Amino acid sequence: MATATFDKARYQAAEIAERVPPLLLAARRIAATIEQGVHGRRRVGRGEAFWQFRQYYPGDELRRLDWRQSAKSDRLFLRQMEWSAAQTAFLWCDLSASMRFASKRDLPGKLETAQVLTLALAGAMSRAGERVALLGSGERPSAGRFVLESIAHRLAHLSGQAETSSEQKFSIPPPAYLPAHSHVVLISDFLAPPEELKAAINRFAGTDCRGHLIQVLDPAELDLPYMGRVRFEGVEGEGDLLMSRAENVREDYKTELANHWDSLRQLAQSAGWSVSRHVTDQSAAKSLLEAYQWLSADHRPAVRQ
Amino acid sequence: MLTLGSLTFAAPWLLAALAVLPILWWLLRLTPPSPRRVLFPPIRLLFRLRPKEETPHRTPWWLILLRLIIAALVIAGLAQPLWNANFGFPRTGPVMIVLDDGWAAAHGWEQRKEAAQALIDRASRNDRQVILATTAPQASAPNFGLTPMPAATAATQLAAMEPSPWPTDRSAAAERLDKADLPANLNVFWLSDGIGSQKADIDSAFSDALQKHGMLDVMSLKLDLPLMLLPPERDPNGLWAKVERTQVGVVQPVRLRALDRDGRTLGISEGSFRTDERVARVKMDLPVELANRVSRIALENGATAGAVTLLDDGGGRKPIGLVTDNAALARQPMLGEIYFIERALAPNHEVRADRLQTLLKQELAVIVLTDHSNFADGDRPALKKWVERGGMVVRFAGEKLADDANDDLLPVRIRAGDRTLGGALSWTEPAHLAAFPNSSPFAGLKVPKDVEIGRQVLAEPDIDLGNKTWARLTDGTPLVTGERMGDGFSVLFHVGSTADWSNLPISGLFVEMLDRLVMTASGIVANADENRPLAPAQTLNAFGQLTTPIASAVAIVAKNLSTTRAGPQHPPGFYGPDNQHRALNLAPSQPVFTSLAIPARQLAADRTLELGPSLFLIAFLLLIADMLIALALRGLLRRRGALATAGAAAIALCLVSMPRPSDAQQIPDQDVLAATETTHLAFVRTGVPQVDATSKAGLYGLTQTLLRRTSVDVGDPVMIDVEADELSFYPFLYWPVTAGQHTPSPQAIEKLNKYLAVGGMIFFDTADQNLVGMSGADMGPGAQRLMELTPGLDVPRLMPIPPDHVLTKSFYLLRDFPGRWIGGTIWVEVPRGRVNDGVSGILVGSNDYAGAWATDELGQPLFPVTPGGERQREMAYRFGVNIVMYALTGNYKSDQVHVPAILERLGQ
Repeated sequence: MATATFDKARYQAAEIAERVPPLLLAARRIAATIEQGVHGRRRVGRGEAFWQFRQYYPGDELRRLDWRQSAKSDRLFLRQMEWSAAQTAFLWCDLSASMRFASKRDLPGKLETAQVLTLALAGAMSRAGERVALLGSGERPSAGRFVLESIAHRLAHLSGQAETSSEQKFSIPPPAYLPAHSHVVLISDFLAPPEELKAAINRFAGTDCRGHLIQVLDPAELDLPYMGRVRFEGVEGEGDLLMSRAENVREDYKTELANHWDSLRQLAQSAGWSVSRHVTDQSAAKSLLEAYQWLSADHRPAVRQ
Repeated sequence: MLTLGSLTFAAPWLLAALAVLPILWWLLRLTPPSPRRVLFPPIRLLFRLRPKEETPHRTPWWLILLRLIIAALVIAGLAQPLWNANFGFPRTGPVMIVLDDGWAAAHGWEQRKEAAQALIDRASRNDRQVILATTAPQASAPNFGLTPMPAATAATQLAAMEPSPWPTDRSAAAERLDKADLPANLNVFWLSDGIGSQKADIDSAFSDALQKHGMLDVMSLKLDLPLMLLPPERDPNGLWAKVERTQVGVVQPVRLRALDRDGRTLGISEGSFRTDERVARVKMDLPVELANRVSRIALENGATAGAVTLLDDGGGRKPIGLVTDNAALARQPMLGEIYFIERALAPNHEVRADRLQTLLKQELAVIVLTDHSNFADGDRPALKKWVERGGMVVRFAGEKLADDANDDLLPVRIRAGDRTLGGALSWTEPAHLAAFPNSSPFAGLKVPKDVEIGRQVLAEPDIDLGNKTWARLTDGTPLVTGERMGDGFSVLFHVGSTADWSNLPISGLFVEMLDRLVMTASGIVANADENRPLAPAQTLNAFGQLTTPIASAVAIVAKNLSTTRAGPQHPPGFYGPDNQHRALNLAPSQPVFTSLAIPARQLAADRTLELGPSLFLIAFLLLIADMLIALALRGLLRRRGALATAGAAAIALCLVSMPRPSDAQQIPDQDVLAATETTHLAFVRTGVPQVDATSKAGLYGLTQTLLRRTSVDVGDPVMIDVEADELSFYPFLYWPVTAGQHTPSPQAIEKLNKYLAVGGMIFFDTADQNLVGMSGADMGPGAQRLMELTPGLDVPRLMPIPPDHVLTKSFYLLRDFPGRWIGGTIWVEVPRGRVNDGVSGILVGSNDYAGAWATDELGQPLFPVTPGGERQREMAYRFGVNIVMYALTGNYKSDQVHVPAILERLGQ
């Protein structure tokens, strides 16, 4: 994919991400989280943001005295910082050939939409100080202003790779090691056989990762609007199929698609994950908001702090 | 060759390909339309669905039918179908087409040509050569002769052929055929005009001569034979037209139109042939004065030379001489002796008043002598001789005649003295007129009761006085007597020509009586040389239209006119000088007017049609339709897209087939560019070379001045022909008014009006101030000419230029406007509010401005200015600059913004 197109996607993503507040991932097992971030927890702890001054009591570490404040009065004060902790999120965008599809000229392609969603999420999270990485990129999750840039470049690089190679590995999330308690967002059309997907999800869920699936579909894939004699051709070498009256199988196809959706949802629920669907003729912001709500909500049954 | 009724196939073996159609049907049925291909990522889901019914998809039967029709059309088109082809010829030799091209062939000439063209086409399809022959005599032998030529050449020769306005001469044609070296085995087609020759055996001899060379096919059009007009007759009841037809048996209505010399319709009369009539007499229902002006009678719906008959000039309108020694005195209103006579005759006749000697040298029909007319020596014998040769002399009585009873130029002997009725010493009452006797030329005129005769001269009672009396009073005394003298008449009114003796001259009856007398007169008595040649003035073409004489027409000696037969040297038409046209009619040269006795095949006027191209076109259209259908079946067209595509295709086809609309006005692009790249001063071509040269030099001088002194960038001056050129490119037209130029046509006037309406400016220069003189105010002859030149030009009210007009300050500040002359006034339009911003579209000056501006290439002035001084020329240039500025900037300088600057310059 040309860089120009990708720049466009990035620009769109930035635009959409601006409309959502910084995405603060719901933090779980905060006590267990080792990594530090700007994830303010409204309590004193280790962090970089000033939280409060507290009177010195014997036993406090002397190096934490705030001499400037202490000099203003007779008492000694400690400077306490807000305790901040960063979440780690891994994003994955399906770059396979099946994503390169748009039924109408004026519709965005599925891939394009997926990339926009990916970058928008990444943008929203990085603004909140979370640590974000592209799944399968082999990079460590990082935070900061430039993370979006690097993710965008990475995505462009990967999609260029995917375009040139016809291997199928791009349609299933790569079997990467994920730190425990990370967040995973998978964006794809999830048209691959559910069994293949199940293995991947179970692997992630096994490390106690929480995840969200966003299915990106074209309206034509939803409705099968074709009429008459049609030869359907697969895009990933699945073969082709001649339908003499495409309109006759429309209802059956819809049922089949609903079944597929159900199995996908069951798969997600079994792992405690969630699923949402984005159709390319909808606004990306709407789907982003859905993901945002899911990710920022705390789905833990109970939190021990 | 295969012929089915009127349909012929030139290459019928190709039709065998139609046998392939069933195979095509089978193939098309087996091959379904190719499916639409769609990329579909969730195809895995589709794999799980097995369609319930998978009937093999077949091409719909109507689509197969459509394709078969296309194939059949192409096959049929390739087989070269022809409609009405009449293929082939019976003989092996060339094709000879004999075309009657006399006047009668003008009736349906186009159909005749089409029939001949069809024969030529047929010959060309059979690779035969063509011989063209005509039967009407021609001044020169046709350049194609009687030799075989290729069909294409014959077609061009045929296209150039025109019928002749004289009858055919088949005996001469037969002679030509005999002399010609014609190949054998000809296929001869004689397209006859259906009119027989003078004798029937001429026609049969001609037909034999044709038969001799091969197979003869005599053809005639499915048309009625034309009618022929015979020269009309005039009698006291009016004008009678005579129409002749070839066949009798039915009642046939005719409509005749009488036209005057200028081609204006005077009246239309209707009549009809009775069942067994060959010649119908139709009275032209026209008042005498109109009947006298008839110059041409034409059959309403027969466009042939035979359907037009021409009348001599003066057939009704006759030249009449009034004898007087002092015309001015004699014409004195109410009192002069010829005043009433002239008033009565002038509307319908050509009246000349002069001395008798002068009149006798002219061609006259009637000479009127009043009592005051004096006879010089030798006048009486000359007049008498003139009367005996056919002239009519009409005399009026008076004191002198009453005293001189020995006049021998009178129809009756006059008793000396006159008779007074109703006078102071008379017991009688003034006498009234009795009804006119039947033998009199005045028979039938209504006698008004108020005509009273107070005095008259009396005739000696002779034995034949009764016969000579054309009008009498109630008591029986003659009032008008007339007598034949030789070929002419001598007529005497026993009263005077003024209202002294009677009130007859001031009654309406007087006019009618004189008209009747003139009509009775034999006609023009040409004292002129009977051997003078009459040059052709206007001749008829075969379609009965008067045109300029054809090249072969030569003059006819006057005395031979009546015996001349129409032919190439003497086409029917008018001969002789203007106003004395003599008519040569067609009818005498066609003495026998019958239909052709030889049986002829009636020829349908329909043509051979080549159907191939139309079939291909239909097949092509169907193919496009098939393509659209196929695309639609594959789903490649949305419904709206399909409609749009079909619409676009239809529009494209319409555009291709539509004739290219001709541009309303075709001006070469380079001219437009040249005219519009820079501003040009333009002047109107007058057609007088000297004036045009002066205008050009004048505008050249002005152009140089403008370039030197102002920022106006003008190109070379342009000469404009108001008839032909586009005016709108030029902001300013200089129009010198001269006597020599033609009045613009109504179209040109319309163009000028449009030019003025859109803001053009015309500067008329009458250039006549030198003739008006220095007095200035009144208009010179040029202004008069200007008014003649521009009738219909939309000129608003003009006024002398006011001292504060924009023209006085548009560039220079000027007080007066000298040109080559000084003193003239510039006339401008009275401002009409917001119309054209109050800028005057018309300027009229009289100082010959171009003369003052004119310079040669070196800038040397060409004409002196009067009264003189280079200051006057400088002022003329300044005015020129101002007028161009005015044309270009309008009333810009009249804006109040400029007032302070102008005031400052004026030193106020």
